[in-house]
Amino acid sequence: MARKMLIIGVVIIVLLIVAGSAAYVFLSAPKKYSIELWYNSDGHYGSTEAALATTLKNSIESCGKVTVVLKSDIWTSYRTLRNQGKLPFFLLGWYPDYYDTDDYISPFMASSGSPSFGSFYSNATVDQWIADEQTTASTAIRADRFTKLQNKLADDVPYIPLFSGYSESAYLSTITNVKLHPISFKWFIIDKPGSTELNGSTIDKITSLDPALAYDYFSTELDFNLFDNLLVYEPTNAALMPGLATAVPTIANGLISPDGKNYTYNLRPNIRFSDGTALNATVVKRSIDRAIRLNDPGGAAFLLWDNGKLGRSAANGNNTPPGAITVTPNDLSITFHLSAPVPYFNDIIGFTVSAPVPWTYDQNAAQPDTVGSVIGSGPYMLTGHTPNQQFVLTRNPLYHSPGLYSSFGIPIVPVEDKVTINIRASSTALKNDLSVNPKLADVVYRSLSPADLKDLQTQATTLGIKVDIASSPFIRYLVFNANTISDIRVRQAIAYSVDRQAIDRDVFDTNVEPLYTLIPPGFPFSAPYSQPVFQSKYGDHNCPAANAVWSALGYAVGFGVRDLVARDF
Amino acid sequence: MAKGKSLLAYAVTRGVLAVPMLLILLTMVFFVLRVLPGDPVLALWHGREPPPSVVEEARRELGLDQPVWVQYARYMTGIFRGDLGTSIGEFYHGKPVWGEIATRLPATVELAIGGMVVASVIGIPLGVISGARRDTLADVVIRLYGTIVWVIPIFWLGVIFQIVFAIGLGWFPPHGRWQGTTYPKAVTGMYTIDSLLEGNFSHFTMAVRHLFLPCLTLGLVLSGFFTKTVRANMIRTMGADYTEASRARGIPERRVVGRHAFKNALVPVITVLGLQFAILFAGAVLTEKTFSIEGIGLLLLESVISKDMTMIQGIVVVYATIIVAISLVIDVLGALVDPRIRL
Repeated sequence: MARKMLIIGVVIIVLLIVAGSAAYVFLSAPKKYSIELWYNSDGHYGSTEAALATTLKNSIESCGKVTVVLKSDIWTSYRTLRNQGKLPFFLLGWYPDYYDTDDYISPFMASSGSPSFGSFYSNATVDQWIADEQTTASTAIRADRFTKLQNKLADDVPYIPLFSGYSESAYLSTITNVKLHPISFKWFIIDKPGSTELNGSTIDKITSLDPALAYDYFSTELDFNLFDNLLVYEPTNAALMPGLATAVPTIANGLISPDGKNYTYNLRPNIRFSDGTALNATVVKRSIDRAIRLNDPGGAAFLLWDNGKLGRSAANGNNTPPGAITVTPNDLSITFHLSAPVPYFNDIIGFTVSAPVPWTYDQNAAQPDTVGSVIGSGPYMLTGHTPNQQFVLTRNPLYHSPGLYSSFGIPIVPVEDKVTINIRASSTALKNDLSVNPKLADVVYRSLSPADLKDLQTQATTLGIKVDIASSPFIRYLVFNANTISDIRVRQAIAYSVDRQAIDRDVFDTNVEPLYTLIPPGFPFSAPYSQPVFQSKYGDHNCPAANAVWSALGYAVGFGVRDLVARDF
Repeated sequence: MAKGKSLLAYAVTRGVLAVPMLLILLTMVFFVLRVLPGDPVLALWHGREPPPSVVEEARRELGLDQPVWVQYARYMTGIFRGDLGTSIGEFYHGKPVWGEIATRLPATVELAIGGMVVASVIGIPLGVISGARRDTLADVVIRLYGTIVWVIPIFWLGVIFQIVFAIGLGWFPPHGRWQGTTYPKAVTGMYTIDSLLEGNFSHFTMAVRHLFLPCLTLGLVLSGFFTKTVRANMIRTMGADYTEASRARGIPERRVVGRHAFKNALVPVITVLGLQFAILFAGAVLTEKTFSIEGIGLLLLESVISKDMTMIQGIVVVYATIIVAISLVIDVLGALVDPRIRL
């Protein structure tokens, strides 16, 4: 009897253990990986940032193995925390410094650049590949290295590319030649038939119209209309063409030395600034030296002396080192002697920081942004500036080549005699400029919120306007702090979970392009090298693949019946 | 004569006391801004990422690599020289702080004065009527009005006015301070005053049309407070002995209200209403944003976002100085009207 009771007791205990274990397995919440996802909270990336972070959280969490805790901070604090390595996983955006594929790779993946992104990714082989592509003019070698680099990016996942941004413009439907250029909006090609004047609106602000200082979008946009460079961009894309120079240097035409270290630009003869003073090679050299010497905090001079390998010599008054820039005696040719080959030097010369300024420009400080002080060689000259309210651009009668863009169907630039750009404080104000009667603007450019953009699209016919949307070189991506989240498998599992289609659909009303590498594919400078490595390796929101990785990492205990029941399929 | 001397002494004393108050405020703002997280240097490149060596060089150039007490000593020395320093922020770095403030201040002052006029024109009569006709239907309606407009968010009201009066009816411009490229010749920076000074009535009309909706927005919200304050004081004075005595002498009710009750109710009201300028300046931030008026409120907003510490300090000094000056004027006026205050 006692033995029978003992057996029953043992069986009951065994049954209880089995039932308890089963209950634990079936009913307990699954062990989840917890991660903080940080985003900016004060509108640095626009008004959609919280929605973007929430969509990312939902897409990662819906695979079932991760808990995402959203955290945010204002931009100045956000960047400080990032640089201090205190953000484990966060959202960032990138607008290129110069228009070359390298600018989408080296700052991100080189050991020297990644700390300033808060990624702290470091790999000696990657550094060597970057050095290879940076110091060769061979497209074959560059293609090989960029392929390797992008594959490595997908393998190690220090970043997850999300989408490339868009630019937008709304304008009266009678207006033509509004081109959403990837680098700079060209007011001088816009045509308002039957009128000689054009009114524009924006919410952007300038920092300075002095090319040596300008680096924000609107300052450089205005400078591209007020100053010409040795090379300029084609009206519709980011391909370079001759501006003040007569040809774009290449090795083939002999204007780049075979070692890629010497760039020569021959100037058009008899060019003058809008004030009538001469623009020659000596003026170009003086302008470049001035930008490097001023080296304004927040300015782009570092592109010349650091990225551009022209150098900055304290012994030479903080100008370029002696011999770095030489000018021919006839003052019509200038050669830049770089300390190392820079395959994208032409792009730097095409950027506003390289724009020649007159001899009279202040050599030790910023030139004022007042009428009469801003003197360039571009299609327009500045004839009105009410700080924070309005800019007035008027035809430059001394513009060197009014027919410069005739091969693109624009016989003479500037098309309109006068452009007035009013500064507004909000996207809604831009929308109102086109909603009131009579309209307060012919063209609004930068930046309409997704909601205002959609409103204008919906009412386009009623209001008699067109709304254009185009790709921009701006990209958005997630960053992993490689020191904090050092297990590559964790980063890979999250890369599987991200749902770019949901971001495009739910946050941006299908206006952005999902991005599967850091190099946006739609631009002449990047198209040959861009490969959608994250699409082929991870796809979008691939939960089974993500969960397989999580299971291997030990995040597979428990079926989470309650979670399964509650989960929205 | 003795009265004049006493008043002068009172005003001077209040003025002198304002100086340490401003210095304490400035010191607090200086240190609070440096304790708060965030590095303004990192914002200078507008989201781009220059090499770390470039960032460090910028930090040295802006003097932000110096110990805080050195920065404080430099800043305070500058203040005593009348120099508010140069901006270190994303959009104005290198530019004199006072220069930017001086450019923006007239727009805000014009807006604040316009808002105050609207608030007074609407709020004070309504308060008088409400107080004089206590517990009548008019009183109930006005009290309800006062409560509703006082709690309406300024930006919401502004957007509604834009939709109705600018986009729908087209009576007023939806935003901005001016239209066209010919501005009034700058004397005060306030377009209404400047256009009058140049004798250009069409310019004056344009300035007023642009100011109307923002001032109405700001003033309407503030009129709720005016209504309530005036009503409360009217109720007090309407029940006072001198009011009853006036009535007993057979003075018509209209004169009792206007000459006796209202006048006496106005003394404490002026003190309170004057201080509402502080609220007006705060409200101006939202109004300026809604109506695209590039005033000092928007400048403050931009400076906070980019952590432009010198600009924030400068704006706080200017704001505080204005508030102190208004308080001083009100105190002196109060002392002039009521000698007991000087005792």
